[in-house]
Order: sequence, then C-alpha cells, then structure tokens
Amino acid sequence: MTTLSVNRCTVAFGGLKAINDLSVTIKGGAITALIGPNGSGKSTFCNMTSGQIPPQSGDILLDGAPIAGRRVDQIVAAGLARTYQVPRVPRELTIGEVIDVPLRYARSPRSLPLGMRSAADLAKFCGLVSALETRCADLSISDLRRLEIARALACRPRVLLLDEAMAGLGVQDTEQVMDLVRAVHAAGVTIVVIEHVMRIVATLCAHVVVLNNGQLLAEGAPAVALADPAVREAYLGKGFAL
Amino acid sequence: MTSLARLGCYAAIAVVLGGVSASGDDFLIQTAIGVAISAILALSWDILSRTGQVSLGQSAFFGIGAYGSGLLTPKLGVVLGWGCGLALCAVAAALLGLVTLRLRRLYFTIATLSFGLSMQVLIIVTPGLTGGSTGITPPVLMGGKPSMQLLLIAGLLIGAAIVSDIFLTARFRPAFFMIRSNPPLAAASGVPVVQTKIMAFAVSGVIAGVAGACYAGLYGYVIPEDVFTPNWNVLPLAICILGGMDTTLGPILGALLLRVLEEVARHFIGGAGYQVVYGGVIILFIVLAPKGLIGLLAQARRRHGAPR
Repeated sequence: MTTLSVNRCTVAFGGLKAINDLSVTIKGGAITALIGPNGSGKSTFCNMTSGQIPPQSGDILLDGAPIAGRRVDQIVAAGLARTYQVPRVPRELTIGEVIDVPLRYARSPRSLPLGMRSAADLAKFCGLVSALETRCADLSISDLRRLEIARALACRPRVLLLDEAMAGLGVQDTEQVMDLVRAVHAAGVTIVVIEHVMRIVATLCAHVVVLNNGQLLAEGAPAVALADPAVREAYLGKGFAL
Repeated sequence: MTSLARLGCYAAIAVVLGGVSASGDDFLIQTAIGVAISAILALSWDILSRTGQVSLGQSAFFGIGAYGSGLLTPKLGVVLGWGCGLALCAVAAALLGLVTLRLRRLYFTIATLSFGLSMQVLIIVTPGLTGGSTGITPPVLMGGKPSMQLLLIAGLLIGAAIVSDIFLTARFRPAFFMIRSNPPLAAASGVPVVQTKIMAFAVSGVIAGVAGACYAGLYGYVIPEDVFTPNWNVLPLAICILGGMDTTLGPILGALLLRVLEEVARHFIGGAGYQVVYGGVIILFIVLAPKGLIGLLAQARRRHGAPR
C-alpha cells in the first residue's frame, strides 16, 4: 500500500503557522485517523497535501515521489484524492455528470477499485439512493456526502483523504459509510479520515495521528493516543485533564 | 440536446438565413446580417461564461478581429489575413486570461471592461500602424453584395454554433460548470483548471474576432468607435440573458428577439425613447425569466407534458 510522508512542512497564513514544521508518515496498512482540536491544522493538512495550499517549505512524498508544489490535478494524477468537508457541487449538474468529471479528467493510470467500471457502479457502491439523473440541487445531505466520496473514488486514488466525510449523517448512514471506507481500504487504498467523533475514530481506525497547533502531538493506537495526557490537555485545556 | 436536434438547429439557421438572402429584400438582409453577427458575438460570450468568467470586454476581441483582418487582408490575402487576425484574438484573449486568472466575479468583469476600453486608446495612439482615429478601409466581403455576405456570415454562425455545442458535450460541460461554481473541486477532480479557463478564453476571443472581422468587411470602412464601443460589451450579455445562457440556441434566439424588440419599440415609440422600453423588457426578463427564452420554452414543454 502507498505511503504518504510529510517532511518538515510549514504552511503559514501571515504570522499564524497552521502547519508548523510538521513531519508525519501515513502508512497504508491501517486506516489512519487525523484528529486534533479546532484550529489544530487538520483541514490545512488536507489542503496542503492535495496541493490546494502548497507548503512554504518541506517535502511531501507519495511512495517516495515528491508531490509538494505540483498542481492539484497533477497530484490527483499521482494518486492522491480528497473529499471536501462541505460538498459544494454545481447545482445544475446531475450525480452522473459530477462523477463523470474525474472519470474523464483524472489522468490516473489505475482502474477503479473492486472491479467497478462506471459512474453507475460508483454511485451504487457509495449507496446513493437518488438516480444518476438527479440534479445535485435536489440531493439530501446524506446523498451529497456519498456523492463526494464517489467523486473522490472516481479519481482512482492510491491515497484517499476523507475530510469529515460522515459529519451530519445519522447513525445508520454513518455505519454504511464506515463499511464503505473499510471496503475501499481492503481494496488497497491508503485511507486517512479526519474526524471529530471519537466513536468513529475508535471503531474505524487502527492508527491515530493527533495534531495540535500545526504540530504532531501524539500518534499510535486509538486507546493509547487518546489516553495521552498531552492529548487530553489539548482537547480539554490545562487543569481539566481527566 | 440530441445530435439530431442539433443538426436540425443548424439546418434551420441555414434555411432561414438562406431564405432571407434569396428574398432580395434589402432591409431583411441587413437586419439578418446584424442579427447573425450579434449571435456570433453572443455565442463567444456564452462559451466563456460557462467557466464562470463573466466578460464585459468582448469588444476588445471584436475590434481586434475587425482591425486584424482589415489590416492584414490587403497584405496577406483573405484566408491568411483572417487567420492571422483571429490568431491575434486568440493570443490577446489567452494573455488577458492569464492576467485575470486569479480575479473572481466582479473583479474579473471590471478587468475585462478596462481591457476593452484601453484597446480603443491603443488604436488611437498608434496612427502609423492602425490608422488611428481616422479608421481603416478593410476590403469588403463577397464583392460588397449583401445577399452573399449574409450567406458567408450564416456559414460562420453555424460554425460558431458547432463550437458552442462541442463545449456543451459531456466532455466539457460538467467540467466547465464545476470550474464556474467551485474551482478547487474541479481541480481536485483532475481538471486542469488554469489551462481549461485559458482555452475557453482563447476560443471565445477567436469567435468574437470572427464577428468583428465580418462586421469590418461589410462596408469597407471602420473607425475605432465602431468596433471598440462598449455597446459590443453589453450586447452579448443582454442577448444571452434574453435568450438563455449555457445553451447554443439561447444566444441565437436572443439576438433575434433583441432585434425584434428594438424594431417594435422603435416603430411604436420612436425617437430615442424606444431605448427605455427596450431596456425595460430586458430588466423584466432578468426578473421574471432568468433562464431566458430557452427557459420559458422548456417550462412550456414541461407543462404540456412533452418528453424532455
């Protein structure tokens, strides 16, 4: 499985270092959770690795090949895809058309996972209940989230970053999306989930990376990382550590 | 739209404009030439707007097309003269696209507007090269016979419609709309956003240049105010609002409707007052039918239960 490594990267917005000399390696063997309190740099991590906001210094390697500083669509072609926390898809397009964009444009040499071949296969796999011809303006939040995952999978990634892909979903929907993520991972895609809900982190992920102030605070198995006093302090504040 | 409907649309343009040309009626022919040139310009605007780039600078490419073809045709012949003139449009459009790449919405629009205005000044301050404010005398098209000019322009309009339809196929339409509504999402879906926007700009510039080159070849005399007037900036926008954006038929029907509106208002009100009514109708369209004539037609078809 593909390894994503970030070496001494910094992203600063004015004086604020959203990512501060961060080095972290994400291996493919287990689903990795990226967690941290608000403003710890999780979303910036996503934007940085996917090329939307390139790091001002440092390297990002995808299986040893440098991707930092390349265009977003080139990074997609190299094999890194992401979902967006707030799925803003063009209202006038249909589900099928949205999934079709990366199927046509992502210059990825890989094929779709699990023997899928078409936008219809992806929509079905991601559990979209609406028909392919449904306009995005008419979708529920559940279908919008599933569409966003289907769109990212259509990039045929080696590494998939899911930025709060389950936020706002009900219990049943969340279970289904978690099963979906497991299936994609089992098909050989390295997965990083950014999550706030610890129940999801604990059940879905075997490895946790904790960020705070743009730096690596802790990493390890969920039980170990979450029990770390430094992590508890970052979440709850000094003096409130349980 | 199915490919059969598209072919029918091209055939309808050919039949209608061919019929007008054969009728020999001077007023009809001149009106049709005006409508067809406006339609080509409106198509150029619409293609660009599908990538979210709302231009108020189409007069720049209209004028570069007019001046480029007008000045180069006597030196290089019609084919090469037009070719080089249009290549100039493509280069100018691509450069403007590069410069305005990071500008969004209103800022982009203002930048295109100032480009259009500055082109006119550029012509006026370089009289040695461009004839300055006295204008140029481009060779007339088709020996100056309006009926033949109309046939040529009808052919070019069909060409512009074909290009517009190519950009409405599954290969381009979803990617263009994604660039328009959410550029980071388009990039994250593998679309080379910058290249695609500049390509759309260059194509739009060339088509606007075609409209300008046609215009310059009508009477054999062009002054900067003719082709660089802000009228050519606003006209395509008004036409696309009337006809319906993001379509091929919309800008074509819109050009026709705008001209009909203008004639009707002029006939009943006359003077300069007709422009108020004409402007009022455009405002009504924006408020009541934001999808234009095409939107109204689609609505009517749905109401009568016809399959889409």
